[in-house]
Amino acid sequence: MNKTKTVEIKHMSKRFGPTVALNDVSFEAYRGEILGLIGENGSGKSTSTSIFAGMQAADEGEMFFLGEAWAPKSMTDALKQGVGMIVQESGTVAGITVAENIFLGETKEFMRGPFVDRKRMFAEAQKALDQIGAGHIRAEMVTAALDFQDRKLSEIAKVMAQNPTVLVVDETTTALSQMGRDIIYGIMNRMKEEDKTVIFISHDLDEIMEKCDRLTVLRDGQIIRTFTKEEFDADQIRTSMIGRELSGSFYRNDFDSVAGEEVVLEADDLCLGNQLDHLSLKLHAGEILGIGGLSHCGMHTLGKVLFAAEMPEAGTFTVHGKTIRNEAEAMRESMGYVAKDRDVESLCVDASIKDNISVAGLDKFAVKNFLILPSKEKKYVDAQVEALRIKCRDADQYVSALSGGNKQKVAFSKWTGRDSEILILDCPTRGVDIGVKQAMYQLMDQMRKEGKSILLISEEMAELIGMSDRLLVMKDGKVQKELLRSPALSEADVITYMI
Amino acid sequence: MGNDTLIRKENRKAALFRLAPVMGLVFLFAVFLILAIIKDINIPYSFKNIINQSVVVVVAATGAVFIYTLGSFDISLGASLCVSALIGAMAYNVTGSVLVMLLVCVGVAVGISLVSSVLASVFNLPVFVTTIAMLSLLSALVLVLIGANGTGDVIQVPAAAVRGINNVWFKLIVMVLYLAFCIFLFDFMKLGRKEKFQGGNPVCAKLTGLNGKKLAIAAFAIAGIGVGLGAFLTITYAPTLSRNTASSVGMDIIISIVFGGMPVSGGARSKIYSAAIGAVSMTLLNQIMLTLSLDSGVGQMVKAMIFILVVYISMSNHKGNILPR
Repeated sequence: MNKTKTVEIKHMSKRFGPTVALNDVSFEAYRGEILGLIGENGSGKSTSTSIFAGMQAADEGEMFFLGEAWAPKSMTDALKQGVGMIVQESGTVAGITVAENIFLGETKEFMRGPFVDRKRMFAEAQKALDQIGAGHIRAEMVTAALDFQDRKLSEIAKVMAQNPTVLVVDETTTALSQMGRDIIYGIMNRMKEEDKTVIFISHDLDEIMEKCDRLTVLRDGQIIRTFTKEEFDADQIRTSMIGRELSGSFYRNDFDSVAGEEVVLEADDLCLGNQLDHLSLKLHAGEILGIGGLSHCGMHTLGKVLFAAEMPEAGTFTVHGKTIRNEAEAMRESMGYVAKDRDVESLCVDASIKDNISVAGLDKFAVKNFLILPSKEKKYVDAQVEALRIKCRDADQYVSALSGGNKQKVAFSKWTGRDSEILILDCPTRGVDIGVKQAMYQLMDQMRKEGKSILLISEEMAELIGMSDRLLVMKDGKVQKELLRSPALSEADVITYMI
Repeated sequence: MGNDTLIRKENRKAALFRLAPVMGLVFLFAVFLILAIIKDINIPYSFKNIINQSVVVVVAATGAVFIYTLGSFDISLGASLCVSALIGAMAYNVTGSVLVMLLVCVGVAVGISLVSSVLASVFNLPVFVTTIAMLSLLSALVLVLIGANGTGDVIQVPAAAVRGINNVWFKLIVMVLYLAFCIFLFDFMKLGRKEKFQGGNPVCAKLTGLNGKKLAIAAFAIAGIGVGLGAFLTITYAPTLSRNTASSVGMDIIISIVFGGMPVSGGARSKIYSAAIGAVSMTLLNQIMLTLSLDSGVGQMVKAMIFILVVYISMSNHKGNILPR
């Protein structure tokens, strides 16, 4: 390894109101290195790197880039000088084209007289997309027409078009299918070969151990330990992350399904564009039904359709034998839906934890189903905050000030609070740390044992295999294969039918 | 500094921002009192004036908060108030009943609001688009009504008919009752919670079972009641109505709501009392400028600057309070 430092952070501290996000954090990264940052949600990974990438300023501390004092004015400024960051959630503007997103703030580069040369801009954007291996995205498309993965890939193209020396990949891979992940891994490897630096943030321990040369663990805003490649040990890293040994099993350890015969949700011959192609399925009481496949296989659309958020062009679906026409009817049949795009679809981030949890359960605590008494509302919300151990100042804290895992807990508690019998969970553990993940798996298992039903849509093979009673593998909008829970079921078995 | 101390400090800061509009009102009130004492102005008479001037805007704008909470706005409320008042006055002239006049004012205003919101719902348009169309339509209707009435440029209700209710107490009672009704709906009923959540994130609201179209129709209907009551109070204060009646009310509603600390984007931070605080503050500000004998142009500039300052403060309130996603 060339030992030239590219990134150096010294004694950095940052507070968000009473929350200490960073407390005297110091670390460095070198040329030709992939440095991993790992830690529980809210440990300071995103905060420290986002400060280096110009998103916000630190309260205290110094930063150096290639040995020079570093104080970028903005993310655009940092990117122009060689530090790019791919953020966790969507960072694109929906109503403009992919090309305009890629060259946002740089359209003057494409001016021909008083006009923007859109043809040249589209061509350059397409070149950027092709270069990262996302040529299937057309630069002239409106960004709103893209799914989450393709929006994320267009962000990556935007960053890579500037040829950065340091790239921060912040918990991006879990939002992507294998194809998207391979694109990011390819970029990371290429940067390493070109003697550049990658700072890789992920909650996937296997992934981070495989890809990184060194690994720095943060907890509660402090650096706990840095592991060299030779020192990598999953148990030790986990213990460093959460400050205790992770007891109990991660996934379910039973292989005897308690699912009953009763069908609670039935879809028959569903068709919708190129997303659903004559798809049928049955979900039983007390069953976790996994849905897996590549990102574009239609599984995310299936989740929306089964919650009646999108209507199929053909086919029917019933819940407890009743046809469902909209989300309110689905909720009346005790359904809940945690969407993949958490900050847009599952939460109102500019509202309090209380607002988010109570709005889904108004019918559960309103007197005579209309009158809201603050005391009853508080009792209802506090019970959910406690049950899911949401880390917060109090329930009046705004969701925007929570870490990713705690946001996800709020999204969960909307539906567990109203005691939903059927939950549709689309990538429920995306971007959450292993401690929260384990808590969520335990919650799902508990719900299953109580006779509740879960449709688990996920891009994580291990999660699907570890939690599902049955697993439907989708491809091109169809169910390609049904796999039953078994200790012998492997990721290779699933992947065979996905691709 | 300990975490508890920091939490207390943060809570104090949040409370300070929350109470800023109220403190602004108290400050203006104090300035007005001091000026009144220095310049030997009849204070009870001035208060009566302030109530007379602000009550119509308070009532109409408080209902409009429901629309603003959704992140929408209605540009036609002033024109709607004028049409409601004209038709209410005509109804009185036909029936001789003040109660009928009140019911017609409210009925017409609610009807106009419903047309705006239902049209938007049917054609799947943003509601403010239909309110722009309604503004043109209602402005034309004002001219048609005055022309069709055959009484020159005005429509009049005999002053004697409304003399009994043209007093501060009656107006205050109407205002307090309507405010209580709106506070109850906004803070203690499912409707208010849903409106705030819908305004905060319509996508998430839909996926939480909320019906955005029904909520918009409900918000406009409640705003319509306020506009109708405002129309009725306008007649009691000035029974001679012309095309210029309530000409500034539309803009006053917008300014009052923002002035009272309502976030321009609506959502969870919306407050039902914003309009009342804003309307009274604005009237006090006008009175202060009159007392200081400021030129009306200078007065407008001062108001504009304060308006921008209030929006800036309300928007910067929660800046920097967001962890990176």
